[in-house]
Amino acid sequence: MGELKYELSQNAYIKLVLQARKHKTAAVNGVLLGRVSPQNDAVVEIADSVPLFHSHLGLLPNLEISLIMIEEHYSAQGLGIVGYFHANERFDDLELDSIAKNIGNHICRYFPQCAVLLLDNKKLEALPKGKDRSPVMQLYIRDASKNWKLVGSDGGCQLLTKEPAANAVLSDYISSEKWQDVVDFDDHLDDISKDWLNPDLFK
Amino acid sequence: MDCQCLDVAKDCIKVLQKQFPESKRVGRLEGILLEAKGLWAEAEKAYSSLLEDNPLDPVLHKRRVAIAKAQGNFPTAIEWLNKYLETFMADHDAWRELAEIYVSLQMYKQAAFCYEELILSQPTVPLYHLAYADVLYTLGGVDNILLAKKYYASTIDLTGGKNTKALFGICLCSSAIAQLTKGRNKEDKESPELQSLAAAALEKDYKQRAPAKLLLLTSALKSLKTS
Repeated sequence: MGELKYELSQNAYIKLVLQARKHKTAAVNGVLLGRVSPQNDAVVEIADSVPLFHSHLGLLPNLEISLIMIEEHYSAQGLGIVGYFHANERFDDLELDSIAKNIGNHICRYFPQCAVLLLDNKKLEALPKGKDRSPVMQLYIRDASKNWKLVGSDGGCQLLTKEPAANAVLSDYISSEKWQDVVDFDDHLDDISKDWLNPDLFK
Repeated sequence: MDCQCLDVAKDCIKVLQKQFPESKRVGRLEGILLEAKGLWAEAEKAYSSLLEDNPLDPVLHKRRVAIAKAQGNFPTAIEWLNKYLETFMADHDAWRELAEIYVSLQMYKQAAFCYEELILSQPTVPLYHLAYADVLYTLGGVDNILLAKKYYASTIDLTGGKNTKALFGICLCSSAIAQLTKGRNKEDKESPELQSLAAAALEKDYKQRAPAKLLLLTSALKSLKTS
């Protein structure tokens, strides 16, 4: 895997963190939508995200339905599934579990540069106090032997937010409890009038 | 304690201790305070000593499981929860918790067993039928998926046709069975009516409550039919 840069759009970033924040005591996950940058094929643009589930992450049926509908919707915009987001149940758990790896592996079949992002709760907690602009997530990439490896700050691959002030906006939303408005696919399946595209979240 | 005001909690417990010096409920609260502070070993000791005097207190047993889970020690949590259920086999919440731990560890066969216990004891709770069907589908294989379809159907029955996940489940099962049995000579061909009915119910519901997503739904259902 070459030196890839993953550019995470502010909205995609914030949606996922808000979902994790909404379901503090559960593991949550989501998918990343995007494409390889047409100007530079060493950059993967993550344009959007869809928060998926906050319960029974390890069960297939809901995942399959969600991926069918999400892919269908975004392919019309020229975007595909380029990665996966996961937040563990426990605060200090920074281990990528088998569910995350399996889903990551599945996405790799269609998009080999698939990124897996894991929420870093400690970084998230420190957000309002610091001026750190880096995303509060860890980046995992699959290496040549198909193992998921954490990308360090010295590594070749990089994860950054497209908009430098994303963390400031995120802090704002968290303190104004915006996370209450986030809808994930689980919510949609419980009540289909809830829209997993979250069209009005950032208005 | 739920609000992380541990000092306030400590004061409250002190007052309670003065009023009710030998109370095991206060003892439990002390244990929970230790848990909230992350002092796992001390909390465990507190519960173990309380259990010596009250070996049949379900809450104490479950707090010990909670400690194991909070530390990420799933094998121990599973072991203790199983032991607990040997005595308290009617504790539905415990069965559910065990099932969810198994699912999170991708131990689907064991999760299925838990849901079977729940369905046996509470056959009219649609939640268990739905979860069981989900686990069966995830396990895969024609037999499991055929069984999953039956439990999605029973969920629909128990919920008056209103459960979206179960309706989708029927469509997924039908599609999976068709794929798995392609080229096989099936004497009793799976009747397509159930899938069509489920699809129609979904379309009707989406038309009414989520019209913006109707096109997506229709195309998703089409891709399930043809796959």
